[in-house]
Amino acid sequence: MLRFVIRRLALAVFVVFAISIITFTLSHVAVDPAAGVAGDSATDDDLAAVRAQYGFDRPLIVQYAAYIANVAQGDLGRSYLSGQPVTTLLAERIPATALLASLSILFALGLALPLGVLAALRPNSTLDRCALTLAVVGQAIPNFWAGLLLILLFGVKLGWLPISGSSTLAHFVLPAITLGSFAMPALMRLIRAGMIDVLETDYIRTANAMGLARRTVLFKYALRNAILPVISLTAVQFGFMLGGSIIVESVFAIQGIGYLAWQSMSRSDMPVIQAIVLFISLVYIVLTLLADLLNAALDPRIRGAA
Amino acid sequence: MTHRLTRYAAAFALLATPLAAGPGDNSLTIGLGEEPPGFDGYISTARDGVLLTRHLFDMLIYRNPETFEYEPLLATGWTRIDDLTWEFTLRDGVTFHDGSLFTAEDVVWTLTTYANPETGARSQASVQWIERVEAVDDLTVRIVSKTPFPAALEFISGSLPIYPSDYAQSVGLQAFSQAPIGTGPYMYAGGDSGQFTLEAFDGYYQGGGKGTPSIDTLIVRIIPDTATRVAEVIGGNVEWIWNVPEDQVAQLDTLPAVTATLGSTMRIAMIAMDAAGRTGEDSPFADLRVRQAVNHAIDRDTIVAELVGGDGEVLNVPCYPLQFGCDTGAAVVYDYDPDKARALLAEAGYGDGFSVKMSSYRDRNRAEAVQSYLAAVGITVDLELVQARASFSAWREGEVGLWYGDWGSFSIADVSASLGNFFNGSTNDGARDPEIMDLLASADATVDETARKQAYSTAIRLITERAYWLPMHTIVMGYAYDSELNFQANVDELPRFFLASWK
Repeated sequence: MLRFVIRRLALAVFVVFAISIITFTLSHVAVDPAAGVAGDSATDDDLAAVRAQYGFDRPLIVQYAAYIANVAQGDLGRSYLSGQPVTTLLAERIPATALLASLSILFALGLALPLGVLAALRPNSTLDRCALTLAVVGQAIPNFWAGLLLILLFGVKLGWLPISGSSTLAHFVLPAITLGSFAMPALMRLIRAGMIDVLETDYIRTANAMGLARRTVLFKYALRNAILPVISLTAVQFGFMLGGSIIVESVFAIQGIGYLAWQSMSRSDMPVIQAIVLFISLVYIVLTLLADLLNAALDPRIRGAA
Repeated sequence: MTHRLTRYAAAFALLATPLAAGPGDNSLTIGLGEEPPGFDGYISTARDGVLLTRHLFDMLIYRNPETFEYEPLLATGWTRIDDLTWEFTLRDGVTFHDGSLFTAEDVVWTLTTYANPETGARSQASVQWIERVEAVDDLTVRIVSKTPFPAALEFISGSLPIYPSDYAQSVGLQAFSQAPIGTGPYMYAGGDSGQFTLEAFDGYYQGGGKGTPSIDTLIVRIIPDTATRVAEVIGGNVEWIWNVPEDQVAQLDTLPAVTATLGSTMRIAMIAMDAAGRTGEDSPFADLRVRQAVNHAIDRDTIVAELVGGDGEVLNVPCYPLQFGCDTGAAVVYDYDPDKARALLAEAGYGDGFSVKMSSYRDRNRAEAVQSYLAAVGITVDLELVQARASFSAWREGEVGLWYGDWGSFSIADVSASLGNFFNGSTNDGARDPEIMDLLASADATVDETARKQAYSTAIRLITERAYWLPMHTIVMGYAYDSELNFQANVDELPRFFLASWK
């Protein structure tokens, strides 16, 4: 087990490095970073001043080396736009994104699990058909449209919930529903499919024949086996949400990592972009590692193989 | 269990109740689309940033938004000492938001610091003309330019806020940008999670051009998505927004609680052509007849009437008519005549037409209208509708033959800020015409108004004669705000909440 974890961590470092090089290169090659920082109405003199100030005219390798040298000392740099330390910016924004992600995944699982199990218990029934329709609709409707529809209904027409901002818990309800409803369909279908498969196996038939309570069969035997792929998918979905949903955070004006990512990308704010990419990579790596460990805990067969 | 649930539910409901705002507590909630990178007016030079700068800080002079005349603000009088020097008499008894006294030292320190390129002022044009700033005494200051600089007063009134030297030096410019102190009618009162507050400064001096603010509190909320901002105005949680899409303004105005208008701005839209051959030596626009054909091919009156709206106007000059030097009489005007366009193209050897890339960003409908008009005369346009920054980059790097963009001139009422930026041989210049470049250089180097006017008139005549641009129209700005608010939009695209009030 320990060797497994160490191997994964070593791979992780390599992955993070590779991602940072790719991000750095792409950001400098796609659009002139000086134009991003200086703004739309920049004249040639403004661009030259920005280039001189941030050393954009140095060779890419030199710029990257300088950046990595700083990161190694724990200095993620300062935002080109606001001059604030990147770590401060991230620290301010991560809580909102984390809260939104947690609420969203809870909403998604809260719908997906019961619906998936119930649909699997009565395949091809009306309930099953409704659940599948819900899944298709949830996956088909674009995030921003769903968000705006919710805003119009609950924010403007009914006035039950605040429309935008992130100052109170109520502000997170609509965004969590929007973000969660995007993740819910895949989870629901996975649970349903997994449960249907498991319920047809011999050991479930045996358990039923042995007279075990329905609930015990369902949860202790069936769900526990069906849930393994769901854990991995949940980890990936949660990772995506923790990276900050740019769309949902922009539509609902949530001061999170996603919106910060959008802002920095559109203004070529390199230090912030790099830090966010680093953060997202780490989140994914940690989450997938945890998911694998959880799976191993649940399924002894995986433990043995590791 | 139930007891706990009811408690949570009650707390939740309480949290969800919006706080009383608006006329009730004499506050105004404003929705802006982009978070300012701090409050330093020399760094935060996007429109939203300039708006905030004008409320937190004062400049030496106030340019009246209606008459464009200069009025006293931090300076009560100003005289030209010689071609390079302006002397300002400063207002006595002005205090900063922290109570410290405003003196010449603050002017000297602020302008000297930002004139230094190492400080990193984002708009170098605003500061690089300054040679030195000297205090004659506590209330008199002289600003000396490197060369005769005719637009000095424009920049002094528009782009150079004055900071408290003691405070700014003690905390450093970085911290100053996060917690600003100025002499403006509003002071920064803190904020977080996408929202901050400006409170009316009760120590604000009387008799300046900005008057005394009526509204006590400005609550600024950052709401990136346009549709969400509009929804907030409809819902009444936000009481003022701008950048409302033109097609939504009419609909919003029908709501009784909302007033929506399209206000004219100084921003001019144009189609710039690659006459200099930056896209390649075979650029069709190197030929005058092709450029003239483009000028004849597009029905600007219809575009303005149908797709611009408000009081947008057709332009025949490469500048904004109210700018000093923008001689509308000097321009050659091209009428809408597609047959003539086709004849000119045939004469130039493009009877079968040609293909060209056009970049644009402001409005898809207008760009596509231009595309169809050009298609009708045989020019196939490959339209690239991208973000503003990417579009500017494409034009400046010579990647496109046509550019349908716009320029706000930083609200500077001088032609050097509009056509002066596009025909001066810089990366904005698609013409690279030495005769025009010389004319502009001479006009920039003298303060003699007559000589400047003459040079600019000639330049405008040449630019339109040689058809380097197709000047299109003025850009209108959509505003939407609470019907109970007295608010006046200005043509310089700078909302002034210190002049607004509740009915």
